[in-house]
Amino acid sequence: MQWWCAARGSAWTWSWQAYPGVWLFILAIGLAYWRLYGRGRPLRARHAGAHEEEVPTGGGVPPRGWPGWFLAGLLCLWLALDWPLGALGAGYLASVHMLQFVLITLIAPPLILLGVPAGRPELRAGSRSLLRLVTHPLIALVTFNLIIIFTHLPSVVDGLMATQLGSFLIDLVWLVGGVIFWWPIILDSPARPGFGHPMKIGYLILATIVNTGTFLYLTFSELPVYSIYELAPPVYGIPARDDQRVAGLLMKVGTAAVLWTAIGILFYLWYREENDEPTSTSHA
Amino acid sequence: MTGARRSISRPLALGSAALLLTLVACDAGSEAARATEGDRRPSGTDAAPGYRGVALQPGPRPDFALSNVDGKAFSFRQETEGQLALLFFGYTNCPDICPVHMAGIAAVLRELPWETRDRIEVVFVSTDPERDTPERMREWLSGFDPGFIGLRGDMETVNRIQSALALPLAVRGAVPPDGEEGGGYEVGHAAQVLVFGAGDLRLAYPFGTRQADWKHDLPLLVSELEASHRR
Repeated sequence: MQWWCAARGSAWTWSWQAYPGVWLFILAIGLAYWRLYGRGRPLRARHAGAHEEEVPTGGGVPPRGWPGWFLAGLLCLWLALDWPLGALGAGYLASVHMLQFVLITLIAPPLILLGVPAGRPELRAGSRSLLRLVTHPLIALVTFNLIIIFTHLPSVVDGLMATQLGSFLIDLVWLVGGVIFWWPIILDSPARPGFGHPMKIGYLILATIVNTGTFLYLTFSELPVYSIYELAPPVYGIPARDDQRVAGLLMKVGTAAVLWTAIGILFYLWYREENDEPTSTSHA
Repeated sequence: MTGARRSISRPLALGSAALLLTLVACDAGSEAARATEGDRRPSGTDAAPGYRGVALQPGPRPDFALSNVDGKAFSFRQETEGQLALLFFGYTNCPDICPVHMAGIAAVLRELPWETRDRIEVVFVSTDPERDTPERMREWLSGFDPGFIGLRGDMETVNRIQSALALPLAVRGAVPPDGEEGGGYEVGHAAQVLVFGAGDLRLAYPFGTRQADWKHDLPLLVSELEASHRR
């Protein structure tokens, strides 16, 4: 039995496989959230965090700090890491690997961060300085894109996805990269007064552009670039190159769909702010 | 809050370290298990000069005859004379090696100029004649390339041919008790594609040969074949 999804070399079957490492990982994140933000506090009180005005006054979109956001993010992460997506993406189909990438870096992290109450996390001075540096928008954007490039290099994918530890490292780096990328957009700690809605929109627009190189490389490469998927037992006879093209398109389209949705929300919030309309929610 | 953070940070750190160590230990085992698979992959050190395939002892093309999917006799040496011949022994229910080889070769052939493609014959000999009926072979091979040639014969003949080529003989596995998909049993067989080029040139392309390798070697092998015919 494997503890984390990695390339197996055997033919794909729809027989369920247990990956206890994934369960422990998800459980650890859930427990950490519960210990930091949830224990002993009534559900409604948890919404408030440091800003009572963010508690919903009835209906509408749940506010920052709502545990439901966190649970949705955790569920999304679990879906991406566990069987069948985890197993298919680790050793059979590059397109599923890319779907995992979108889920782990672009969908799960913002949901998880939305579950963190406003004004949190509270950190000691040393940690705060480090966090301020790491989550500086410029550094976060560069880090995220370096992670995208590095974790899609053929030598890295072929080298790491063959082992459980390597596959785990790629998933972990994606998650950390996603959290760093979304942090300045969603969390207000550490505070960045100069990084308002227009800057956030610009940040996300830049992010839609910079993955183009990887997209082009995967989509228009004449040959399969990853040996792990090219030499994997075929799934439903899908040719390796077609699978790789779908992966490239998924990277571009999936990323664009998520980022432009976020850009739309930021525009809306900016508009509301400019028109001085009171808002009961704060999502970014 | 700071106190709470301190109280959980140490157990979390210790737990994470312990988990990481366990994972590394588990992974070492799986790495060792994978090593046998890695051994089948081509190595640059024993590649034939100029080619990515592995050089074999030079020799004439094997002279054998089997039935094609139309039930007609196919003499390998005669039918492939003047052509670059790729010979592979496998079976259509194979879950991994056979479809990967066939798909890789077919994908590269589709990209070659027709005059190069026209000089290449891919011959697939069944190591599972019981399940590989002519219809089944025609359907399966056409899924990759309608030009691929399927041959079958009794196992004794097929094994004699493999033995003459110094290939391991095909071994039929036991039928699993739960009757898994794919026909119930697997067949162990040689994993390399043999290539017969100009003169006595023989090359082997083990499992792990990539499309990039075929794309590099096939045009070169055809060029050399044509040059030898001109001489």
